[in-house]
Amino acid sequence: MSATYKEQARHGALPETTHDELARQHFVRSFKEYLVGAIHPGLETAYEKRAKPTFEAEHQREPETMQEVGTVMKQDSHYQAWSSLLRTSQEMMWSSAQIPVERTLPSLVGNARNTPPCGSLTLDPKLMTPAYHTAVDIHCQPGGYHTEYTEDDVAQGAIYDRAVYLYAMGQMGVNNADMGDSTVAWLQSEYPDFVPEKILDMGCAVGHSTLPYASSFPDAEVHAIDVAAPMLRHAHARASAMQLPVHFSQQNAESTHYADNSFDLVVSHILLHETSSAAIKNIIGECYRVLKPGGLMLHVETPPYEGMSPFETFLFDWDSENNNEPFWRKSHQLDLDALASNAGFEKPIIKVMAPSAFQETQRSMTFQGGDFGGGGVWFIYGCQK
Amino acid sequence: MSGEGVTLKRRAKGKRPFYFSDPDVDRLLSMIMALAGELSVTRDRLDTLERVAQEKGLFSQVDIETFALDEEALSDRSARHQTLFKEVTRIISAELEGLDDTDASDYSAVVAQVENDDA
Ligand SMILES: C[S@@+](CC[C@H](N)C(=O)[O-])C[C@H]1O[C@@H](n2cnc3c(N)ncnc32)[C@H](O)[C@@H]1O
Repeated sequence: MSATYKEQARHGALPETTHDELARQHFVRSFKEYLVGAIHPGLETAYEKRAKPTFEAEHQREPETMQEVGTVMKQDSHYQAWSSLLRTSQEMMWSSAQIPVERTLPSLVGNARNTPPCGSLTLDPKLMTPAYHTAVDIHCQPGGYHTEYTEDDVAQGAIYDRAVYLYAMGQMGVNNADMGDSTVAWLQSEYPDFVPEKILDMGCAVGHSTLPYASSFPDAEVHAIDVAAPMLRHAHARASAMQLPVHFSQQNAESTHYADNSFDLVVSHILLHETSSAAIKNIIGECYRVLKPGGLMLHVETPPYEGMSPFETFLFDWDSENNNEPFWRKSHQLDLDALASNAGFEKPIIKVMAPSAFQETQRSMTFQGGDFGGGGVWFIYGCQK
Repeated sequence: MSGEGVTLKRRAKGKRPFYFSDPDVDRLLSMIMALAGELSVTRDRLDTLERVAQEKGLFSQVDIETFALDEEALSDRSARHQTLFKEVTRIISAELEGLDDTDASDYSAVVAQVENDDA
């Protein structure tokens, strides 16, 4: 956990908050820190001393799968309390981010309209929101990414921008940019001669991870796509306020409008786990199609379950059923080699853990539910065309 | 203006999981955390107040820390604490009070009585 409490960097697209609205958000962040630091560690004690012995008494062996761990842990009072509190913290987080946005929406919409544009914004009102985004509201944001309440709406984007900072407890830096920063740093150390001229970021949301590419490769043309209009409007207003030129457009990553062989670098950050089995194949196929020969595809995610103990897997899997992340479990258990080779990739598959570029906080170096960004490493999956 | 008077959805689409054997425990816990949140908001406001006072030269945090409570202040507070405990634990003590209350134990009988006392 961070010793010093750094606040998110202000930018023109964030809402003004009153004293109490801000205090409410600070409480949520502290609540989440407390859950990670003080309640989460007790889960292992509860498992070793209570739940596992219960399982062993019945089966004469240790639990071997996350499902078996679940049969006893879900009955454990410490797990129940942790889950109930974590779910509540998630609901309070969204609510605390919603309150100032609801109050100031007209001025947020006005701001987004009036920010002198940098780069561009192209919306497609006819684009269908994929079923995997309308079935449930992903990670419990009421209304999901896509809901629009008013003309030129930015509400969902403005809420998401602030909530990510609270969710990660500041561990992704003052601009929520750690995934982009870390990937750029990894790229520059592994491929020092690689200077992309054209870059595509898929599922960019509000552009937290997009902007590091724009600032690190100032001569490159940076494109960013998303299916959700409120995300893109906020992303464009934010990037414009920060004077970084990015071409945002509303497109589905499964089938974009870009020509074959047009990008040197195609990236995504925590997009894949929010799609579906069919969509992920389409997306990897689309990456292959739009990449130039020699171009690089990189997808940043949390690491696959492979190699984790059944207990660790059970906890890391919490989001699947408890935080509206229906594709989380499957997406962490995919045959990533086959996924890439079926899409046409022939070079060695990249599956690496890249260190976080943001080293101001103490790192757990493990992935645990409720501690997003706390691991200090990101999993990069990709391939060169 | 675009966006005036908009009410945002407050419920995330998708079945809400509950964890305790009685889901009302989850509901209560959620309310307790919301209360803790509002308490923290109030405490933060007090903190701001102290800092503003100090900055404007009205009084300092040291003035607060070193303020000597006389007996009258202490007794006033102590009485307020008792009222607070009584209010918070009312449901527990009220239940005990009701143990002797044989006449009100059958509520439906009372309803029947007031409904039919014109017969
Ligand atoms: C977790 S957010 C991504 C966060 C963002 N990349 C970042 O690093 O800050 C997932 C985003 O992907 C978008 N998305 C999901 N499926 C998509 C698809 N098939 N095509 C384009 N965008 C998609 C969602 O609308 C959402 O904004």
